Amino acid sequence: MKIDINKLKEIVGEENVRDNIADLYVYSSDASVHSSKPDVIVRPTSVKEVQEILRYANKNKIPVIPRGAGSGMSGQTVPLSGGIILDMKHMDKIIEIRPEDVICKVEPGVINDELNIQLKPYGFFFPPTPASGKICTIGGMIGNNASGIRSVKYGATRDAVIGMKVVLANGDLVTLGSNTKVDSSGYQLAKLMVGSEGTLGVVVEATLLISPLPKFRAMGVANFATLEDAGKMISNVIAAGITPSMLELMDNVAITAVNNAQNLGLPDVDAIAVFECNGMTKEAVEYDMKRIKEICKKNNGTGIRVSDDPDEMTRIYEGRKKLFPSLSKYRDGLFTTALADDMAVPMSKIADTVHEIHEIAKKNNVVMSAYGHCGAGLIHTKILMDTSKKSQWQGAKRAVKEVYEYVQKVGGTTSGEHGIGFSKGPSFKQEKKDSLEMMRAIKKALDPNSILNPHKLMDSPDDWVTATPLRYQVNAK
Amino acid sequence: MTTKTKTKYLNKYEKEMNMCIRCAYCFEKCPVVKEEQWDTDGARGKVILSYGLLTGELGPSQYIADKLFRCTFCRDCLDRCPSKVSILEIISSARADLVKAGYASDTHKHVMKNIKDTGNIYGDAEVISQERDGKTPLFIGCQYLGRPNKTKKYIKILEKLGINPVIENEICCGYPMEVLGFREDFEKHKENFQKSFPYKDAITLCPTCTVFLREGHQIDAKHVLQVMLEKLPKANLGMKVTYHDPCDFSRGLKIIEEPRKILEKLGVEIVEMKNNKENSRCCGGGGGILMTDQDLSGDIARKRIKEAIETGVDILVTSCPTCEQVLKKAATEIGESEGKNIVVRNIEDIIWKGVK
Repeated sequence: MKIDINKLKEIVGEENVRDNIADLYVYSSDASVHSSKPDVIVRPTSVKEVQEILRYANKNKIPVIPRGAGSGMSGQTVPLSGGIILDMKHMDKIIEIRPEDVICKVEPGVINDELNIQLKPYGFFFPPTPASGKICTIGGMIGNNASGIRSVKYGATRDAVIGMKVVLANGDLVTLGSNTKVDSSGYQLAKLMVGSEGTLGVVVEATLLISPLPKFRAMGVANFATLEDAGKMISNVIAAGITPSMLELMDNVAITAVNNAQNLGLPDVDAIAVFECNGMTKEAVEYDMKRIKEICKKNNGTGIRVSDDPDEMTRIYEGRKKLFPSLSKYRDGLFTTALADDMAVPMSKIADTVHEIHEIAKKNNVVMSAYGHCGAGLIHTKILMDTSKKSQWQGAKRAVKEVYEYVQKVGGTTSGEHGIGFSKGPSFKQEKKDSLEMMRAIKKALDPNSILNPHKLMDSPDDWVTATPLRYQVNAK
Repeated sequence: MTTKTKTKYLNKYEKEMNMCIRCAYCFEKCPVVKEEQWDTDGARGKVILSYGLLTGELGPSQYIADKLFRCTFCRDCLDRCPSKVSILEIISSARADLVKAGYASDTHKHVMKNIKDTGNIYGDAEVISQERDGKTPLFIGCQYLGRPNKTKKYIKILEKLGINPVIENEICCGYPMEVLGFREDFEKHKENFQKSFPYKDAITLCPTCTVFLREGHQIDAKHVLQVMLEKLPKANLGMKVTYHDPCDFSRGLKIIEEPRKILEKLGVEIVEMKNNKENSRCCGGGGGILMTDQDLSGDIARKRIKEAIETGVDILVTSCPTCEQVLKKAATEIGESEGKNIVVRNIEDIIWKGVK
């Protein structure tokens, strides 16, 4: 495969093509553990340019990997067999905001928070709230079906995408979905594109549902001596018909990490739950918070605090907010890796799963903490390890496998919001074994030459550790 | 064409670079990435390039040097980084390794020669401090040595407030050597500097020198605004301005309220820009890009001036001579091209008005 760089420069202009080794090296990784260089990076600025690039790539069977901020954690934008990285950040126009229809139309390079800034004067927001909202693009969110801390109430990106324009592998432009919340007929192809990680087409415009900004919110925190009590509290809240806008859990490893690194003095308990309710009236928010408090008490929650004071809410959220930086400083010589990072389990299995994660980590000589949007059944973990040691990678590989085997055993799923890429390929393929051929048939129908982000999802390699070089320097031992 | 060369200065940062989880949170307000929109130009990109140099996966090249020298050292990424990676130390160490490998720009080399030959960045032996006896050590710094009228004004203000500064025949603090990667030169210069300025504490005029006296020389440096806040008498200047926080002030030294309180005390009303205090946007003048990439520097500065014009006031006040210089130029350009005008003033002009 020889890429005609001049041809690409003709399409997008010289200033929008880079093939220096330094740029290729930077674009060889994302927030995952992998590294593999593309041949060229191209920045389209119009639909027509995307079409021309894909026509050229398809004719010459060159891989094309669409990329937003490159903040994916599973290698979604790592080009396993080289090719063209399509950096979509330059297509960043908000095309229209239609509050009367509760929708907006955007290009894929629009940054999530920037969209919310523009929606605010209309009294609206785009509900998915990924932690990376300040830098991640709508295109990336669509690719991964991102969600975030408020998924417990508002769902994920797929729930908010109702239509789109997509450039297919052959360069054709198609319009999918509609401008309406309900759309009952035929295959839901716009929804199919969400979570497809750029393997089926390049999204060049998205029609999004927006929501009115809540006028009131309150936040609370409760401590639990056992994970079982915390898990029951979470299940009970959801089963009671309460829809908190946030219901987060931190396990003891996470609490210890925050205390070690930030000296916050969080109680040394098995679990801390942080919750938030929002709504259009103060009474409704207070009512829900009161009910959550009661459920916390019923499940032996202690140190329960609830507040609608902004400063106090900041303090309540402090521990959860500082968790991520704390993990990086958990112990000298251990580094945070995005592995087995976002599984989801039925809510009744949260406590058991967290226990199991701890056991697996111990057995394999790595550190794993569990936290996350447990109100939606989502558990985040990170593996902390010495990335320079081969033995640690072997332990991590075993731990990842064992965690996912357990998750599947209890009826959970491999990825709740970060996507599969190829870090999670083995577990995904095991979990979805009955639908892999259907997925491959869809891929073949839309992308017969397999140029769009190849070797991902159902086509990912069986061994994520050796699929590409790791982005770390690993010694023999 | 690249060649493999072993790094020296980057070596101790391998762990730091592995701590970078490559999340891209540093993109959020990075002035360079906002202008260029390539991942390579953000802090994450620069850390990755540095890692490549360290591991030998990349060899030093002019292209990589150009990328690593395109950083204003505005410190915004440090606040955004969830892993608290020492990004600026990594970038300055990569620069040092690139300089060692022969990739220093002629402009930067010229500045180093100036410092070595004359003790200041201008290479002008006539630019010297006016030595005087006094009680409190005052470090003037190259930027103010090159602006003698402003310096005199500050000294007069200090005298009026009962502070009697002692001024030595000082030489450059060496910050340009450190930030532009001339580490070997800095090690030699450091000794000369400490001989020329043998104090453990000092008052300073320039925000960047204040940071570097603390971090590079372990001198307990206090910026002149911190010192004069309590002593300033009240005045009623009746002005309305917007205030631009220099990066080394708001993010480096966390000096955010002092200049605002001073302006308030003098009867100056502040209308804040959209991005202010610790979220203030860079003027585009730092990190050496003003010397080597005036187009980029100008693009960043014009954005800041437009933000200031949006406040509706016609005066922008800042407290850093470099910010003042860069923003003044940008304000003139915007005035000429768009017919929208704003005057850029340094805070000592306003203070002098209030106390004279």
